[in-house]
Amino acid sequence: MAQYSQTAGPAGSPLPQWPETSLAHRAPGQSSLVMFLHPRCPCSRATLGELELLMAHCQGLFSAQVWFIQPEGMTEDWVKSDLWRTAAAIPGVQVNVDYKGEEASLFQAVTSGQTLLYDVSGGLMFQGGITLARGHSGDNPGRDFIESLLNKKIAHAASAPVFGCALGWKKTQKECTACQQ
Amino acid sequence: MSAVVTNILPQDNPLTQAPALLSGTDMGLRQQTGTLVGDSGTLPAVPPDSALQQRAAELFRDAENDLHRHTDHLFARLMLVQWLAGIAAALWISPLTWIGDSSQVHLHVWAAVLLGGAITGFPVWLALQHPGQVMTRHVIAVAQVLTSALLIHLTGGRIETHFHIFGSLAFLAFYRDWRVLVTATVVVAADHLLRGLFWPQSVFGVLTTSSWRWVEHAGWVLFEDAILFVAIRRMLQEMSEISLRRATLEGSNLEIERQVVERTAELSKTQAELLETSRLAGMAEVATSVLHNVGNVLNSVGVSAELATSKVREFRIGSLKNVADMLQQHSEDLPAFLTTDPRGKMLPDYLLKLAVHLAEPQQAILEEMQMLQKNIDHIKEIVAMQQSYARGTGVVESLSVEDLVEDSIRINAASFSRHDVNVTREIAPVPPLKTDRHKVMQILVNLLSNAKHALDNCEGDRLMSVRVAQNQEGFLEIIVMDNGVGIPAQNITRIFSHGFTTKKQGHGFGLHSGALAAKELGGTLKAHSDGPGLGATFTLTLPLEN
Repeated sequence: MAQYSQTAGPAGSPLPQWPETSLAHRAPGQSSLVMFLHPRCPCSRATLGELELLMAHCQGLFSAQVWFIQPEGMTEDWVKSDLWRTAAAIPGVQVNVDYKGEEASLFQAVTSGQTLLYDVSGGLMFQGGITLARGHSGDNPGRDFIESLLNKKIAHAASAPVFGCALGWKKTQKECTACQQ
Repeated sequence: MSAVVTNILPQDNPLTQAPALLSGTDMGLRQQTGTLVGDSGTLPAVPPDSALQQRAAELFRDAENDLHRHTDHLFARLMLVQWLAGIAAALWISPLTWIGDSSQVHLHVWAAVLLGGAITGFPVWLALQHPGQVMTRHVIAVAQVLTSALLIHLTGGRIETHFHIFGSLAFLAFYRDWRVLVTATVVVAADHLLRGLFWPQSVFGVLTTSSWRWVEHAGWVLFEDAILFVAIRRMLQEMSEISLRRATLEGSNLEIERQVVERTAELSKTQAELLETSRLAGMAEVATSVLHNVGNVLNSVGVSAELATSKVREFRIGSLKNVADMLQQHSEDLPAFLTTDPRGKMLPDYLLKLAVHLAEPQQAILEEMQMLQKNIDHIKEIVAMQQSYARGTGVVESLSVEDLVEDSIRINAASFSRHDVNVTREIAPVPPLKTDRHKVMQILVNLLSNAKHALDNCEGDRLMSVRVAQNQEGFLEIIVMDNGVGIPAQNITRIFSHGFTTKKQGHGFGLHSGALAAKELGGTLKAHSDGPGLGATFTLTLPLEN
């Protein structure tokens, strides 16, 4: 169980620059945070808890949007789970449906909870998760990095392991199994 | 008092085994207990002795054992509930793990079922199979803390779930055994130490932390422990005080019971003595009554003897002697004397007349002798009755009521005749009476004698009637009425009292013993009078079968 908790999902290869073709809106003059979630991933509940803390700690320093994967064949009710409602309840967070994982595919995010922070110019400053282990709340390096970047305490790009279910837009088993081992 | 407390606490009692942790406890308990017991005012301040101490220790151990067993059962239920709650939490929080649109059961669900079951199973089995044993509660303590760890993990490390540890410690304090808390605390501390070293994020939520942070967490547990130790100490004090009180109370109860037994024995003895005295007094009373009745009969005996004597006096013994002398003088010429001498010729007629003359008193004497015999028989019966009473048994016979009444009248007949008492009888046909003949006779003779006395100074016709009938309730009623002096209203109930009499030579036994005899036969004896000079009615009511 310890091994399961500590096993991170695949990080994928997020784009170093904000993809202009994305439906995601990048706020001008602000850093932008994009988070991808599987609407039924139990581990991601802790991720939203950390996002809530992040929003409270760095209010006004960035814009945040959460994209919930809607696999093909699944209804919108399936997507709008309690995780959706939790995310929508966080002040300042925009919640969206990512039909067939097109946005996740565009950003190359593969694991639920994967968080990407782009600076004002659209450059990727952080990619990874903001929890310490699967489903575990608490202080973690991912949130620390983002807070430091937003507060300009550090200037270099950073990353952290992401813990969550596979978003599932990749089709091969190999691509998706890491989080379930 | 110190000796009491030291001894009533068993050897494995927390208070006797934690001198460092609870130093001074014994002294405090000693003083407090002594004060409570001595000053309570509700229990006697029994001086502590070894038996009392031993009993108090026994009660303390019993109470402690009951507490441990009860708490074991509580934990068995709690742990089952926790196991189910853990499964429910896993199913609620993380039922499935996903890859896109495909899912499978989350590892947490299996952990809740299997790991939770493993943690729960053994202590629950111990609680049910070996309640009250030291090992059981320590295993429960370990399992309870492990359950906390599992629940914390299943809820994603929520800080709120950490409160389960503190709740568990409070619950473990139900055992009132500080060592159980120590076991739980050691497990918590070891868990934090080991996980802090090898998996810090799982317990502290951070990747790197001070190697002493576990001390901080254990410190908070110890903080609660300290409070719980104080509470446990107080509860144990109360338990020991209660045990001592119970032992004292039991001692008092035993003493009271002993005294009760002693007093009961004394009372029984006194009662037996009283009973014997009462029996003797009763016999004396009966003897008095018997003498009274014998006296009544002796009156008749006297009358009969007097009558017989006067009849005998009437015998012309002198004339008979003269005839005998005359015959002796003429013994040589007796035929000539009887045929030629004028006196000799008259002699056969004279002898015939003399025989006739002697026959009459002879008959009267015979009758009196018969009456005398009956009276003597009655005296025998009265004496026999006393003997029967003294033996406490009575012979029940089937009797003719009419014969009973006639016999009792006959006993008094001479007296009635002498005083010109006219006795009438109204005897209805009634079934035979099954009862003690002599008691009924005693009552009736007494009633008739009293009626005769009531008529002694009565001018005009002296009337007495005896009626026999069966009343509506089926009881036999024998009613003796007279038109004598009557009874004043104020005496109508007193006449049955022992020693009460209106007769100059009376003793006040007759009606009293008559009423008692009637009661013994299951009946009643009642008196009625319209007042002085208006006569009296005595009604003897008896069951036909006794």
